[in-house]
Amino acid sequence: MSAPERVARFAGVLTAPWSAEVVEIAALRGGTAVLARFGASRGEALPALGQVSLIPPRLILSVRPGRWLVVGPAEAAAGSPAARAEIWRQGAQGCAAVIDMSSAYAAFLLGGPPALEILARGCRIDLHPREFPPGSAAATVVAQVPVIIAALPFGMLLLTPSSTARHFQEWLEATAAHFGPPARLSVAELFSGEVAIPAR
Amino acid sequence: MRGPARLGAGVLTDSSQPLAFVFDGKSLRGLAGDTLASALLANGYRLIGRSFKYHRPRGIVTAGPEEPCALVELITAAGREPNQLATTLPLREGLVAQSQHRWPSLRFDALAVNDLCSRFLPAGFYYKTFMAPAWAWEKVFEPLIRRAAGLGRLEATVGDHADPAEIVHEHADVLVVGAGAAGLAAALTLASGGLRVLLLEQDSILGGGTLLDARWTAWRERAVATLRASALVRCLARTTVLGAYGHGVFGALETLAPEESVRFGGVRERLRVIRARRVVLACGAIERLIAFPDNDRPGVMLAGAALSYLRRQGVTVGQRPVFFVNNDEAYEAAFALKAAGVPVVGVVDARSESLAADRATAAGIPVFRDCAVESVSGGAGVTAIGFSKLGGPRRRLVADSLLVSGGHSPYAVLATQLGAALRWRESIAAFTPELDPGLGVVAGAARGIFGLGRAASDGARLGAQVARALATAPAAVETPFPVDPPSTPLAALWEVRRPGKSFVDLQNDVTANDVRLAHQEGYEHVEHMKRFTTHGMATDQGRIGGLVGCAILAAARGIPVAQAGQPKPRPYAQPTPFAALAGGEVRKHYRPQRRLPLHIWHAAAGATFVSTGLWLRPLVYSATPGWDPVLEEARHVRQGVGITDVSTLGKLEVSGPDAGRFLDYIYANTFSSLAVGRARYGIMLREDGMMLDDGTTARLAPNQFVLTTTTANTATVLEHMEFQQQAHCGRMDLLISDVTDQWAQFAVAGPRAREVIAAALPAVDVSNEAFPFMAAASTDLAGIPGRLFRISFSGELAYEIAIPARHAVEAWQALLEAGRRWDIRPYGLDALNSLRIEKGHITGAELNGNTSAADLGFGRMLKKQGDFVGRILSQRPGLLAAERLQLVGIRPVDPSRRLRNGMQLVDGASAQASLGYITSSTPATQSSGWLGLALLSGGRARLGQHLVASSPIHADHPAVRVVSPHMLDPENARVRA
Repeated sequence: MSAPERVARFAGVLTAPWSAEVVEIAALRGGTAVLARFGASRGEALPALGQVSLIPPRLILSVRPGRWLVVGPAEAAAGSPAARAEIWRQGAQGCAAVIDMSSAYAAFLLGGPPALEILARGCRIDLHPREFPPGSAAATVVAQVPVIIAALPFGMLLLTPSSTARHFQEWLEATAAHFGPPARLSVAELFSGEVAIPAR
Repeated sequence: MRGPARLGAGVLTDSSQPLAFVFDGKSLRGLAGDTLASALLANGYRLIGRSFKYHRPRGIVTAGPEEPCALVELITAAGREPNQLATTLPLREGLVAQSQHRWPSLRFDALAVNDLCSRFLPAGFYYKTFMAPAWAWEKVFEPLIRRAAGLGRLEATVGDHADPAEIVHEHADVLVVGAGAAGLAAALTLASGGLRVLLLEQDSILGGGTLLDARWTAWRERAVATLRASALVRCLARTTVLGAYGHGVFGALETLAPEESVRFGGVRERLRVIRARRVVLACGAIERLIAFPDNDRPGVMLAGAALSYLRRQGVTVGQRPVFFVNNDEAYEAAFALKAAGVPVVGVVDARSESLAADRATAAGIPVFRDCAVESVSGGAGVTAIGFSKLGGPRRRLVADSLLVSGGHSPYAVLATQLGAALRWRESIAAFTPELDPGLGVVAGAARGIFGLGRAASDGARLGAQVARALATAPAAVETPFPVDPPSTPLAALWEVRRPGKSFVDLQNDVTANDVRLAHQEGYEHVEHMKRFTTHGMATDQGRIGGLVGCAILAAARGIPVAQAGQPKPRPYAQPTPFAALAGGEVRKHYRPQRRLPLHIWHAAAGATFVSTGLWLRPLVYSATPGWDPVLEEARHVRQGVGITDVSTLGKLEVSGPDAGRFLDYIYANTFSSLAVGRARYGIMLREDGMMLDDGTTARLAPNQFVLTTTTANTATVLEHMEFQQQAHCGRMDLLISDVTDQWAQFAVAGPRAREVIAAALPAVDVSNEAFPFMAAASTDLAGIPGRLFRISFSGELAYEIAIPARHAVEAWQALLEAGRRWDIRPYGLDALNSLRIEKGHITGAELNGNTSAADLGFGRMLKKQGDFVGRILSQRPGLLAAERLQLVGIRPVDPSRRLRNGMQLVDGASAQASLGYITSSTPATQSSGWLGLALLSGGRARLGQHLVASSPIHADHPAVRVVSPHMLDPENARVRA
């Protein structure tokens, strides 16, 4: 039995590792304009630095000047991230490096009212919606490891290097445990705000 | 419960919730809402502990964290915790506390003999007394003094019992420190302007001074309710700001309420690290003592503390109190006690005129004007006091408590840490801080605005000022505030100078005479006086007597107090447990671990792991200690084929039209000429010409290189390359991407490696002609797109395969499957190390930051044409000197002798000077005996020489022979097979 509920109303922690595919696009000199045009032609606008473009179920974020991470659900086909990288590589016309980084990052989703309280236990930057509204992205350190944080409409996407993912996950789950029973959520739920919470 | 000292309900206590506790073995009762101090007072306790130096009996002096005397040991299941403040320790059911610093008992303390000998023990006596003999200081005097002195006793051993703590990061537009009248009013104003406010209060509830005046109850409750209801305001009680660190950063310690502690898994303290745009320091003022003989007797307390215990816990500190004051604010306690039915014996006021004294007289409280207390009778508790008018006869009042007030000093610690200047204010006889408005404001009593109404108005006004500075428009705060009674200013009174011990610092047993002695001995500056006497040190930081000591020093120097100043306080503002500073980053969370994509596979295969940097790597696939399993793995590589996980190697992709040129600049050898599909070994120098790192770089496409770094140096190399790109190669068009975590990488090594790779990658022609040593290609393994390199660290025919890390297990298993026919076996870091030592390949032990390319035998790799990082300084004479430590191989003359890392190489057993040392050593995989790599002075010219490898700590001095570092296959026939 499950009942849909708004993420914001759920009085608990929503957390899950997310099997995402990640492609890094890095512009060479003069490449930003070419990439922006190509992105726009696909309906995938490249965000400004520190911003996220939400293109459900994918998103594009930028936390380094001239670089973007295209993040989306991993698809079943083994060549999927490489294929997506190839689309951008073609579109970039030689003025960007496009690298599949799906194995380099582990993604986690975090939602529910205590999300910011949980992150405040490891993250030094101000994630209050006034300073870090949905659509913001930043690279920082959480629990001693590098983490990229993207604010989605109803929660946070957290990317950490895959080699420290285990450490980060242990920290996240241990910290979240004090804020109520955890429930799993999907990235779609963080986009829509509709989340299926097991009835309790 | 009710007792003679519990007069009724307090603001905090709940008479329906009695609590049992134990003090010094005696079972007692208190109430929920009590502190240990209030509960002891309610039970009629006055003697709580003994003093630091003279072991004089001491009681409770204050009602807050400024308490100098009431320190106790807390006994818990986890052990003893010394120096807990009874005045802030919340009472809880079953609490067990014990007085400290006494032996054998609190009533009879043997070391009280110090008090009788005190004329021989002035401040600094031990600096002078224990000068000679010099050897005795460490062996006799210091241990003796330490046994006699010290504050509390630590557990002999600290187990794994430290309470968990955590660190939380906070952000706000404005941090308001202190939730008294000024702080609450400021917070209300700031929140009304739409600002994010963080309001911190050290007390267990918000309200500060308004909790002590019933006329303020309604206003306080409305204010707190409004603040708590606001989404913009966070109110944290039990949270003390420990330090102000500049740039808007503050540290605060929160002590969790019991129920919250349970919810957070036993976390007791929480360090809040706060970043705020502005600060409002509304942290109030601290009442100070007056120095007069025996002003430390149990029962001598601050007047404000008496008011606090009465209002907050319904406890009277005495049945026959006398007051000794120099200000009107202190009369509030006398009025309150009288109203509660306690017969106030009288008020000794140092002034002649006082509106409060007039009100007291009208209320029937005897006031003795122009008088000063000169003596206190009673050893374990006040029984009477003596006082006199200037020059007049001494009079005596029978009393059980003496409530003193020497005025109030604004709490300026945090403002001072922010660089605020202190200005002397004669009207309150205290310093007030002047904070740079760009940082924030000081409001209310913290800047000498006394009286709740005036402080609240000040807070509201300054809150509005801060709000406007942050470009918001605040609404007006609800006024009027209750009106303060009219008052007469205080008359400064620091000391009543009579024979006897007049204390200025009760915690460190510093007397007024000690301060004068400091001056006499030349310690005239307040900071010097502090260090000579210890005045103002330890847990209370001398808060209640700090200014008094400074004033006495100023008088001795014949200068105004304003000129003498007071010591500058540093963080932390109160004792802070190390556990709170460490937060959750302790034990296994002390630092993160990096795990290999194959970690679980390695563990299942029985690997013993080793930490290298943050990485956990398989050391050997065996739980058996010793060299046997390592050598078995290594020999299997030499004779058959092995596979090892080298995913920890740093991997950086460099791409773009100028990638080759950039690598030419970064590496000391050339890469722009490297053909696509080929790899090359490269060495990287630092700016100072020393070796930074080495590794292989492959060209995958005309504009795409992938280079490897040593595991330990990945971050350093990336930072170095990014710096060089930005600082020196700004015109070049290239990109650097760290792909270390993207790629898992495995080395397949051994004479059978080609067969294994051919079986695993049937589509690739791996013949020596088609895929020679140092070839590189993109390829598929088990349908997964990857990369193949023919490079070797082991000295054997070897291939490395890189695969996206999430497919690591499939790829590894495909290789194992392909190699099954040739009995492929995994080998760990130890075997890899043995193999590379034998081959003469270097790692961090040789790349140690002190070696140049020439030292390690790479001198000829430095390109002659074109610039590169480190070129100029690599040619400085010092790096070319013949006697530099150079890489050589070492073999023991007697093959049965072992080598050890770190053995010093000397010329003959009796030689004193070291010629170098062994950096790495291993039993040989191909022959019997040990071999090693060493850095040896003028090493290359010493090949064939016999030296002694000396390890004095092992009493091991084998004779060794200097050989080429390439101890296996110097012609490279194996890797090129």
